[in-house]
Parts: sequence; structure tokens; C-alpha cells
Amino acid sequence: MGNGLFGASLSGMSAAQFGLTTTEHNIANAGTLGYTRQIVDTASRNAQQTGAGFIGQGVNVTGVRRIYDQFLSTQLLQEQAQASYLTSYHTSLRQIDNLIADPAAGASPAMQQLFDAMNGVASNPESIPSRQAFISSAQYAVNRFQSIDQRFTEIADGINGQITSTVSAINSYAQQIAVLNGNIKRATASSSQGVLPNDMLDQRDQLISLLNNEVKATVLRQPDGTINLFIGTGQALVVDENVYGLQAVQSPSDSSKLEIAYNINGQLAPIQQSNLQGGTLGAYLVFRDQTLEPARNALGRVALGLADRMNQQNQMGLDLSGVMGGNLFTMGAPRVSPAAINTGGATITAGIVDVNALTTSDYQLRYDGATYSMLRLSDNMVTDLGIDPAALPAVDGFQVTLTTGALAAGDTFLIRPTANGASGIGLAISEPAKIAAAVPIRGAAALANIGTGRISSGTVNQPLPLNPDLQMPVRITFSDPAIVPQTYTVENVTDPFNPGFMDVQPYVAGQDITYNGWTVNITGTPATGDVFTVSPNTNATGDNRNALLLAGLQSQNTLSNGTATFQAAYGQLVGLIGTRTHEMDVTSLAQTNMVNETLKQQQGVSGVNLDEEAANLMRYQKAYQASAKAMQIASTLFDELLALGR
Amino acid sequence: MRISTNTMYDSNIAVMTQQQQRMLQLQQQVSTGRKFITPADDPVAAAQALSLSQSSAVNTQYSANRGAARHTMSLTESILQSATSVLQDVRETAIAAGNGALGVNDRQMIANALTGKLQALMGLANSTDGIGNFLFAGFQSKTQPFIDTPAGVAYAGDDGQRLIQVNASRQIPSSESGADIFMRVKNGNGTFAVQAGNVNTGLPNGGTGVATVGNVTNATLLTGNNYQVEFFDDGVGGLTYNVTDLATFTTPLGGSGPYVAGQAISFDGMQFSISGTPVAGDGFTVSPSSNESVFKTMSDMIASLNNPAPGFGGRLAYSINQIDRALDNVLTSRSSVGVRLNELDALDVSGEDLGVQYQQSLSALQDVDYAKVLSDLSQQQIYLQAAQKSFAKVMGMSLFDYL
Repeated sequence: MGNGLFGASLSGMSAAQFGLTTTEHNIANAGTLGYTRQIVDTASRNAQQTGAGFIGQGVNVTGVRRIYDQFLSTQLLQEQAQASYLTSYHTSLRQIDNLIADPAAGASPAMQQLFDAMNGVASNPESIPSRQAFISSAQYAVNRFQSIDQRFTEIADGINGQITSTVSAINSYAQQIAVLNGNIKRATASSSQGVLPNDMLDQRDQLISLLNNEVKATVLRQPDGTINLFIGTGQALVVDENVYGLQAVQSPSDSSKLEIAYNINGQLAPIQQSNLQGGTLGAYLVFRDQTLEPARNALGRVALGLADRMNQQNQMGLDLSGVMGGNLFTMGAPRVSPAAINTGGATITAGIVDVNALTTSDYQLRYDGATYSMLRLSDNMVTDLGIDPAALPAVDGFQVTLTTGALAAGDTFLIRPTANGASGIGLAISEPAKIAAAVPIRGAAALANIGTGRISSGTVNQPLPLNPDLQMPVRITFSDPAIVPQTYTVENVTDPFNPGFMDVQPYVAGQDITYNGWTVNITGTPATGDVFTVSPNTNATGDNRNALLLAGLQSQNTLSNGTATFQAAYGQLVGLIGTRTHEMDVTSLAQTNMVNETLKQQQGVSGVNLDEEAANLMRYQKAYQASAKAMQIASTLFDELLALGR
Repeated sequence: MRISTNTMYDSNIAVMTQQQQRMLQLQQQVSTGRKFITPADDPVAAAQALSLSQSSAVNTQYSANRGAARHTMSLTESILQSATSVLQDVRETAIAAGNGALGVNDRQMIANALTGKLQALMGLANSTDGIGNFLFAGFQSKTQPFIDTPAGVAYAGDDGQRLIQVNASRQIPSSESGADIFMRVKNGNGTFAVQAGNVNTGLPNGGTGVATVGNVTNATLLTGNNYQVEFFDDGVGGLTYNVTDLATFTTPLGGSGPYVAGQAISFDGMQFSISGTPVAGDGFTVSPSSNESVFKTMSDMIASLNNPAPGFGGRLAYSINQIDRALDNVLTSRSSVGVRLNELDALDVSGEDLGVQYQQSLSALQDVDYAKVLSDLSQQQIYLQAAQKSFAKVMGMSLFDYL
């Protein structure tokens, strides 16, 4: 009897002690990240069978269990990976959001200044200060494009750094998880059935959670207590105690970019980058490929468009010294990078042929052994380029040329037509006089004319190249208006007998008269023998016709197949980045709130509540005290028994 | 539901962080005066604001362009005003020169006065804009447009007219062609000119016959040919006239008859009269109006004042008519400049209205409503304080306090 009493009390005290220890463990780890609260499981001992029935024998501690809900934990993991992805994407976007739309620092005010200055030149074409103002404004605009592009480059470099540190974090987590896998496996195997090393499990779960913040990983639980981790489309990161790490390597198609490769025992294997989703790493990759590079391309396209259109218009004019205008800006050439795995050894160059047709996408030139094709990466549209490498047709405003060697089947080239646009724009002139404000020709009526005919000053026909005879002096002489139809004769003034042309046309008032690359029109009724001339516009310091056209480029839809002005195309970029950032503002906040909700639920199950633990402390204390009291009573009873024998 | 102690801390901290973010945003709005700090705050408004501020800047530029145009045109207007008064003086002087009582010296004095006026007019025609650009040289603003040569005043400029973009859809000419104002003065009545013959044309004019400028009676009958009118003795003490079309060497219908001073002579849709007393053998030419520069008119007038050969009266009348036409030319240009200046004023008004509208729209898009933001800010402050206070209260409660 005594034995039973003592035994039961002792088991009660021992169970209470376990309870107290576990409660203290819970209190101590209340702030530990990833900790799940533990409780002591007890069961009554098998009762002793007597003739009177079963008599209880006390309590057994059957285990210490962590309160863990696998469903909630898995959900939390996924949501955290997504939240971490959105937050990182959002942070990255914020970097360029303000940069491009800043009223002081964006490219838009700089372009406005440039055109304001060109208007100034149009108002005072002979004024050197006006022209100098244009040169300064153009320099400012060039600097703006370059410095925004420089900022993009800095951000891209920053992302390379982030990728490196993220990859090393992933490898480190994977390493620790593998170590814990081994420890857990051995601890589970060596202990009795169903007893788990709770704290190691917590630690591993916490590491998985941290890993998921970096990249989305799939967990596969094994019966021996270990877990296998997979990333991307099923690449193993951790299997049992083995780690297959990642490594940041230079992109085969663009040496300025770091990409992720899979490291199998020292052998590097490429991974499809778009498969690395979620987490910080996924955010950096997506941000770089879907926002940063397209933004750079869009900015480049505006710069290219501005430079090219102004260059062309300037070439159609005459500068202050009476010389045909040249380029105002230098332009960045398309970026071409051969794939690292190319075997043909061919060199490819690319050139812009029509800025209006340019898109903001990147392209891939492919060769399948027979035909060449161009893949537009933004929408995967393929254009067939035929089979002749010497005459590859232009696609979307640019053209590739095979300079040396030949392509082998399967060779590819990455072509980024506008990526260098903003970094490559420069000012080609420094002399104010080089702005071609005048038009190379002018129409004039002879003073001796008797009729009422008037001639326009004339315009140069688009597009370039200019007609070599543009400035050939030409005379237009009219016949008798009484003889219908009245006609006019066009002659070369300097050499009428060797004219290159001699033309007689019926006269229709106001109709365009086009020769040698110019167009004039004559209105009114010229009298017999009235003469009009189209001659080189010498000494035309006051002519602003070409400057007006240059200034007018501002409001012309010259980009995106004639749908956008320079500033509108830039505005689209600002709107795109703004909208995307705004979207991230909202979704990342929503995701964070969702994580908090799930975390609340998960913590509701697994988290430590200090009040509860305080109550448990009291509960186990009282239980201990009660068991001790029972033992005291047993002791007293035993004493009574001994006294009987005295 | 169980609540973990950590959750209480975490969720309260999260709420307070969000409230602080909102406060910071409001505070930034107050300090910058802008509704959105970055485009992400309101992408649609940001893109609109960008395009609106561009439009507004372009509108401002048009206003500057109008200023430049107005400067040139006002200058042109004042030069043309001076030219008008010079020409009016010339006209009065020329009329005075017709006085038959004047002697040789008087005429020479008048000729000298006219020479001065010619110089003045040349000076006006060669005016610059104050920084060395000739106003009436067309495109060749650095080239002196009117040059005195032995063969008379020549025009070295061109017909170029400078256009200025004064609003989105209008390019206004800011300059006037010197050739149109001073060189292209149609002689006669603008369609045909009747000039007294002289020795050069083989028609000596010994009499005192003076022709009117005439007018067109039927434009459809005009031939554009040259004619000459000759006077013959009719054998009974009178004169007859006969018109010859120099292209066909025929006499047109109505082209001959007895001469009655002041009576209309009309043929081929033209009509004029000759008065005074021509003598037999005298003649007039009738030709389509051609351009004669005002300078040539004046130097011709000066030459004939210095050397009043027979036919002086006829030539003077012709010259006075030319001065009138030159005056017309100048006044036409002046009124055209004036109309354009008026147009500029109208465009200024609409441009300013547009500017105000842009500013208002921009302000509506991006300017902060201070009353609202400040009230939001203090509201936010209250929320944050409430969150902080309640957090401290709740966290202050623990069962451990009673152990």
C-alpha cells in the first residue's frame, strides 16, 4: 500500500516537474523566432488489479509535444515567399519611380528646354546667343539622358550585388538545413517511437522560412524525419544531408548581368531564370528583366528618336555659314551579344534604320542551319529573315549585318536595339553656327514680272538623302495665259542647253511644283514671260524655315509607328513605372497584411501566451504541492504503521 | 481563440508602422505642397500632370515667340509709318512742283529737297532691327537689301518671309519683303499704264498733252499687248488720234477718232483720256502695268525737275500717280502688319486664358488641399496616439504581476 501511495505521488511530482520545466522552456523561448510552444503529454499508469477492482498507480509522462499545424505553417511559408518577393520588387521599383518623373531631374523638362531653345533660334535665326542657348540646352538634355541611364546602370550593378549575397544566403541556409536533417534523422532514430526533437524541428522550420524569403522552395517530408527541398522546376537544393548549391555567374548573353546557375558537385548547370520565382531572388530577376531593362530601352528609344529626327531635319537645312547641316547628336548603336554557346564564330552588327518603327523590346537572331529569323522577346513574335546572310531585311526599325564569319546552326545573338540609346546620345556640334536654321533653296519672283503670280519660298522634300541637284539654280518661265492651258517651262539656269532636264508642264495655280528634291508652289496668274527662280539660299542668315521644322518636331508623332511624340513616349515610360509601383504599393501591403493574418493564426496555435504559461506555472506548482502533500500523508501513514509495532 | 503574446506585439507594431507611414506621407504632402510625391502615389495624375506641364511650357514658349514677332512687327510698323510720312511729303512737294510759275532755281531747290527725301526713304528701307539685321532683306538679314547702283536702286534681298509659330496651329509672318513694298509698285492704274512718249520711244512729246491713269471697263477684253497712241493733223486745224496694237499692228475697235481734250479714248476694255494740247506727231504708249520701284519714280522725278524738257507736265502727273501707288503699297503692308499685330493681341489673350486653364488643371491634379490634408494629419495623429496608448495599456497587463 505504501509503495502505491509513494509511487503515485512521486509520479505526480515528476509529471509536475516536467510540466514546470516545459513551461519555463516556453517562457524562455517566448521571443525565439520560429519557436513553437511545447506541452507535456501525460497518461495515467496502468491500474493494479485487485479483488476490489483496479487501483490507480499514478501518472506517466508520455512525451513532450510541440503544438504545430502543418497546414498553417505551409501556408505561411508560401505567403512569406510571396510577400518577400513583392516587398523586394516594390523597393527596387521605388528606386526608379521618382527618378524618371522628378520635375527637376527627369528627362521631360530637359527636352522641353531643348525645344524652347529651338523656338528661340526660329525667332532669331541670326542670333548667336539664341543658337548658343540651344547648344547648352541640348547638352543639358544629353546629360539628363546619360545620367538617368547611369542611374539605371547603378541599380543594375546593385542588383548584381544583391543576387550574389542572396545566393550565398541561400547556400548557407541549405547547408544548415542539411546539417539539421542529419541531426534530426539520428535523434529520431535513437529515441523511442514517436518522440521528436522538437527544438531542432523548430530550427529547421525557421531556416526553411528564411530560405523562402530568398527564393521559393518546395518542401518534401521524408518518413525518417528529414526533408528534401526543391527550387525552380524541381531542382533539388537539399536532399537528406546533401546540398546542391547555387552560384551567381555572368550571363552568357549579357556580360553585365549576373545569373543563377546550379552547382552539382562543382559542375555548373544553367537554370531557366524565369523559373526562379518568389522571394527576394525572384523579385530581383523579375525587376531586372521586366522593369529595369524595358525602362532603359524605352528611355533609349526616346533618346534615339530625338537624336535621329533632329539630325535628319538638320541635314535638310543650311547652317549659318551657308553649308549644308550635319548631325546635331551622336547616337548609341544597338547592343549585340553573341550567345556564349555559339560555335559559328560569326560577328554581327546592328544599325537603326527607322526610329519610328523601333519598339522597346529586345530581340534574338536565330539560325537553324537554313533560315535566319528574328525573335521579338517581348511577345515571342518570330520574323523570318530568309536564307541570305548578306541581305537580312530590317525588322522593327533596325537591321542586322553579318560582318565576319558565318553562323552555325543553333547560334543565337541577343540584339538590344535601344539599350544604348540613352547612354550613347551625345552632342555632335559645339559651334552655334552649325544649327541649320535655313532651307537650302529659296523661290523668288523676278522684279520685272508683270502678272500676279507669287512663288512660295519652297521646302526640301523628305526623306533623306538629299537630291544632289538640290541647289541647282532653276528658272520657271510662263507662257501666255490667254492660250489655254497656260504652261511653264523649267530650265537649268547655269547651263540651259545641258540641263539634265527641260520640262514643260500645264500650270495649275497653287499646285506643288517639284524638281531636284524641292517643292515650291506658284499662285495667281503669271503673265507671258514671267520668270520665277529657285536658287541656292545664299546669305540666308534670317531664314528660319528649317528651324521652325526642327522646333515643330516636338509636337510630331515620330515614335512608335507615328503614335507618340518624344515627350509622350517618355510620359508612357513614367506612367508605366508609376502604375507598376502603385500596383506594388497596394499588392505588397495586401500581401503583408495577409501574412500577418496567417501568422496570427499560426501563432494562435503555436505561439507562446505568457498569461497561459503563468497559469500553467501555477497549475504545475499546485500539482507538485498536492503530490508532495500526498507523499507527506503517505509518510505519516507509514509512521502510524511503524508506531503500531513499537 | 488563442492569442500568442508575440502576435500582440507584432500586430500592434505593424499597425503603428502603417499609421506612421501614412503620417509621413501626409507630412510630405504638407511640406511639398504636392498631392503625389512620386508617380506611384497616383500614376494617372502624374502622367497627366507631366503632359499638362509640357503643354503649359509649350504655351509659354508660344507667348515668347509672339513677343519676338511683336518686336519685329512693331519695328516694321514704325518704319513703315515713317515711310508713309516721307512719301506724303514727296507727294505734296511734287504737286507744288507742278506750279507753272516756278522758275528753274525753284525747281532745282525742289529737286534737292526730293533728293533728301529719297535718301531718307533709302535709309528707312535699309532699316535694321537694332542688332544689325535688315528688316526688309527677306532671308538675307545680314545683306543690305537696297543698293544705289549707277543703273538705279537694286534690290539685293529676296522674297523670303520669316514665319513665327505663335500658337499650336498658326505661323504668322513677322517680316515684310522689301521687294513687295518698295520695288513692286505697279505703274499706271495697276492693270495698264499710259505714258507720254519721249525721244527714246520714237514718240517726241512736244505738246502739253497729259493722260489720265485710266481704268478697265471690261476685263474680259484685255489683251495684255502694248499699244501706242499717235496724233495726226486732220488737215482742218484739228487733231486725230490713232491707236496701234504693237503685237498685231492693227487698230483696235474704238482706237481712232478726232481728238477732243478730256474725252475718253476707249478700246480693248481700257479707257483713259488725254487733255491739254498735243501737237501732231506726239504720242503715248499704253502697256500692261509693270513694276517700278519707288526709288526709280523719285529719281526720275528729280531728273525731270532738273531738266524740264518738253512733256514735263505729263511726266510729273505720271510720277505723282506712282507716288500714290507707292503710298498704297506701304499702307497695304502697314495694314497687313497692323492686322497681324491685332491677331497677336487676340492670340495673347487666348494664350493667357489657356495658360490659366493649364495652371488650374495642374493645380487641381497635383496641388495639395491643405485644409483636407491638415485635418487628415491631425486625425492620423489621433489614431496613432490611440494605438500607442491602448498598446501600452494592454501590454501592461500580465498575470505575472500577480504571482
